[in-house]
Amino acid sequence: MRRRFRRTGGPGNAAIAAVTVCALCAGMWLLRDGTGTQAPPQPSAAQAHAGDDDRGADRTSAPALPPSPPDRIRIPAIGVDAPLTGLGLTRTGSLDAPPADRENLAGWYEAGTTPGETGTAIVAGHVDNTDGPAVFYSLGALRKGGTIEVDRRDGTVAVFTVDAVEVYDAEDFPDEKVYGAAPRPELRVITCGGGWSRTTGYQGNVVVYAHLTGSR
Amino acid sequence: MRRTARLLTGTALAVATAGLLAAPAYAGETAGTSTGSLEVYPSSVAPGSHVTVNTAACGDGGTAAGDATAVGAGRFTLAPSTHERDAIGQFQVPPSAQPGTYEIVATCDGTDRRVAGDLVVTLTPDARQVVPRGSVKTGVGGALGPDPVQTAAGVTALAVAAAGGTWLLHRRARGDDI
Repeated sequence: MRRRFRRTGGPGNAAIAAVTVCALCAGMWLLRDGTGTQAPPQPSAAQAHAGDDDRGADRTSAPALPPSPPDRIRIPAIGVDAPLTGLGLTRTGSLDAPPADRENLAGWYEAGTTPGETGTAIVAGHVDNTDGPAVFYSLGALRKGGTIEVDRRDGTVAVFTVDAVEVYDAEDFPDEKVYGAAPRPELRVITCGGGWSRTTGYQGNVVVYAHLTGSR
Repeated sequence: MRRTARLLTGTALAVATAGLLAAPAYAGETAGTSTGSLEVYPSSVAPGSHVTVNTAACGDGGTAAGDATAVGAGRFTLAPSTHERDAIGQFQVPPSAQPGTYEIVATCDGTDRRVAGDLVVTLTPDARQVVPRGSVKTGVGGALGPDPVQTAAGVTALAVAAAGGTWLLHRRARGDDI
């Protein structure tokens, strides 16, 4: 019995040792990843507007589309493909958020500009809900030059190109820059971001700036 | 008595004004939820603006003849669209259009079903634009907490590692080759 162990013991022990090492590594990685506090990706400074007057530098865009309500938003670079619901304002005048229980649902400000029309169209969605990541979890990972497509009810698709991705503190939110009127068709995509604390939640918003570069 | 009358008139005016202000914002929404009507978007426009109308009343793949002659924009056609079962058409309000409320009509081809919706023409194009302010509450931190499935998997993996390690140590203590 002992002899047989000795003969096959080598490879057997090696296999057990390998499994032990693998299990140890996997266990440590899983525990670190599973119990850690992973914040959603945040934009780097390089994704911000280049300068104060940079919004005036390139005012060209594709020809504006007639107004038509949007139905769907797609951002291929971060795997977003979600229906859009209409949003209004809260009693304090801030933009309402879509229902939080549907994680793959974004909204658009329906009393404002429709995406593709001249002006500033506004889309917002959750970064997460109580169950975990939601539709715009990866919005902060979007980069300049990225593409955003909006399906519109008139059958056209408005194609936007990202100009900047910025993050703002709620205490110091640049209303005019984010929501203000634009002389060309522009789009804002907003989700929660900035720091997070257990008492106050997310401290600000990630805002994506884009303008119309095509339609089909 | 006279004072009461004045008060009543004032209240009525205030209610009417509030109603007028609220009307453009909600007209499209209520029209859009019922299938038997014509949704006009935007429901309130300035002269010279483009208007999109759609209806689900003509069924799947249905087309319709649109009539915007009331506002001076003539006739147009509604074609099937990618959106659910809607037929969609567009027209331009002439720059000479006068402020007021106009009925836009569409008649389904084949069934002759007639649907209508209201279009309000105003001289102040940006009256409908109330801009939001401040940040948006779009997260609760649910993505930040521990992931129970991953944690359980990690604990299991570590248990396997511990079992393997114990086994190996055991054999070494017994003098087996390692």
